[in-house]
Amino acid sequence: MTKNMIETVKIKAIIDECDAVKTFEFERKDARTPKPGQFVMMWIPGVDEIPMSISSYNNNGEWAISVKNVGDCTNSIHNLKVGDYIGIRGPLGNFFQIPQETNKNIFLVGGGIGMAPLRFLASELIKMGYKFKFIEGAKVKDEILFAKEFLEHQQKDLEFYFCTDDGSYGEKGFATEFFEHLIDDLSEKDLRDSVVFSCGPEIMMYKILQICKKKKVEMYASLERIMRCGCGLCGLCVLDPLGLLVCNDGPVFNSHILAKMEDFGKFKRDFSGKKIKL
Amino acid sequence: MLELNISELKLNSPLILASGILGVSYSTMKRLVDEGLGAITTKSIGPKPRKGYKNPSIVEVYPGTFLNSVGLGNPGIDNFITEIKEIKKFKFPLIVSVFGNTVESYIKVALKAEQAGADAVEINISCPHAEVASIGIDKNRTYAIVESMKKELKVPLFVKLNPNVTNLGEIALAAQKGGADAVVAINTIAAMKVDINTKRPILSHGSGGLSGKAIHPIAVKMVYDLYKILEIPIIGCGGASNWQDIIEFILVGASAVQVGTVLHQGFDTITDIINGLKKFLLDNNYNSISELKGLAHEFKTQEVPDFD
Repeated sequence: MTKNMIETVKIKAIIDECDAVKTFEFERKDARTPKPGQFVMMWIPGVDEIPMSISSYNNNGEWAISVKNVGDCTNSIHNLKVGDYIGIRGPLGNFFQIPQETNKNIFLVGGGIGMAPLRFLASELIKMGYKFKFIEGAKVKDEILFAKEFLEHQQKDLEFYFCTDDGSYGEKGFATEFFEHLIDDLSEKDLRDSVVFSCGPEIMMYKILQICKKKKVEMYASLERIMRCGCGLCGLCVLDPLGLLVCNDGPVFNSHILAKMEDFGKFKRDFSGKKIKL
Repeated sequence: MLELNISELKLNSPLILASGILGVSYSTMKRLVDEGLGAITTKSIGPKPRKGYKNPSIVEVYPGTFLNSVGLGNPGIDNFITEIKEIKKFKFPLIVSVFGNTVESYIKVALKAEQAGADAVEINISCPHAEVASIGIDKNRTYAIVESMKKELKVPLFVKLNPNVTNLGEIALAAQKGGADAVVAINTIAAMKVDINTKRPILSHGSGGLSGKAIHPIAVKMVYDLYKILEIPIIGCGGASNWQDIIEFILVGASAVQVGTVLHQGFDTITDIINGLKKFLLDNNYNSISELKGLAHEFKTQEVPDFD
């Protein structure tokens, strides 16, 4: 099985995560091992095929994708039942570069369904014995994702923070503001030894980039764009002016690249290839 | 060593981006030329924005072989003019692939492309999973559209041929008679893939066009046959995946070669191909890649044997 061939698999389990998010578990024994940050093209037979982050993987070949119901296609996904077939291509794209040094100050900052790849990253980091601080943002309490499983790991230096716009869970305010506050006291050396992994609404990641630029902190963001192929052929996921492709060059980009990306936080291409506002 | 001319176009390398692959944004096209492509053919552009078919529209069926039915999704010529103007800031030959629903609309799109700065126009009369294919399977309609467009256009006109026909030669000759400056052979080959678990055709459109490794030997044979009968240049296209495939196309008579599907392996592939071509020419004491053109025709092949 090459990585761009569709493999149809049965859904093994469906977990209701919160109001609008469900996690779909399935098994793939012969596929390549995915890394946190990678994505798949998910085919819903008769409906559509869309890019989706991998939200969990274990070494027994059990995969999971977490899907937020935001439109026609994701609504069809939410109507799927255990035993239904879905098609999977991947793992595709690059991944979060986990630092070699275990003493780095690692921050994970995410919001909305951007939590999916960060959940996979967090579980890998925990398995590898890394410490980190995780900041999750959501509009309201009902949209907070994976809190229960995260809090099982809560300990000194492995901390989870939650922010809601209305203060209905955790801190009141944006994850970006809380992140800025967290790194505010860090010394120059500590900032140099810090790295941020983020995924969420692009405007949120854009703000994180501005904070990281100001503080000279290394950052990685996972981007999303419309795609047909997921493998460097259709060109719809292009990022101007560097000509980078989210599918093959990303989805994860570092702060140096992000800073040069005029489309970041501003533009995407629609299905016809026309440039439109995000 | 790798420089060559096709019609009025001056190419720094024999590799041209094939239409339908990555030809959406000026920035990707620039990047491809920086990696070593000699010219770019854009995605096929029509009179209006068009979404094309839903996904799945591009899937791999064997390693390096893809099936697609994009259905001519494109932003429309009026939106695409901005992209053409951006590209023209960089000095490389730009071929704009065009299609329409009537001869008049083909001409209208092509003229707008020319005005915006296209160095050549390629006409898509061959996409096997869209309505324009009907022109490319008919020699009279092929002749008529090429002749009409040549009257209006100042820039060279290339015709991309549909391989899904019984007699490709007569269609290529019709394009030549109409005044085409070159033909591109070949477009994708009509194909289909069914998922055995869901029993469904995988592509949303049902069937599509096959590209990549599996069609390379087919394209080589078609270019070989066309070279025997055509006077205008042939641009080889079909599954070229490494430098050896490029040489092979040129040996059977291609003047240049389009690449597309191989780019799923990344942009570095182009550099590998360019380096491979240069090394082959140096090792075999050729000064120019054009010296290899058509050499495979010097060998007599065996005639059909008599019945015993």
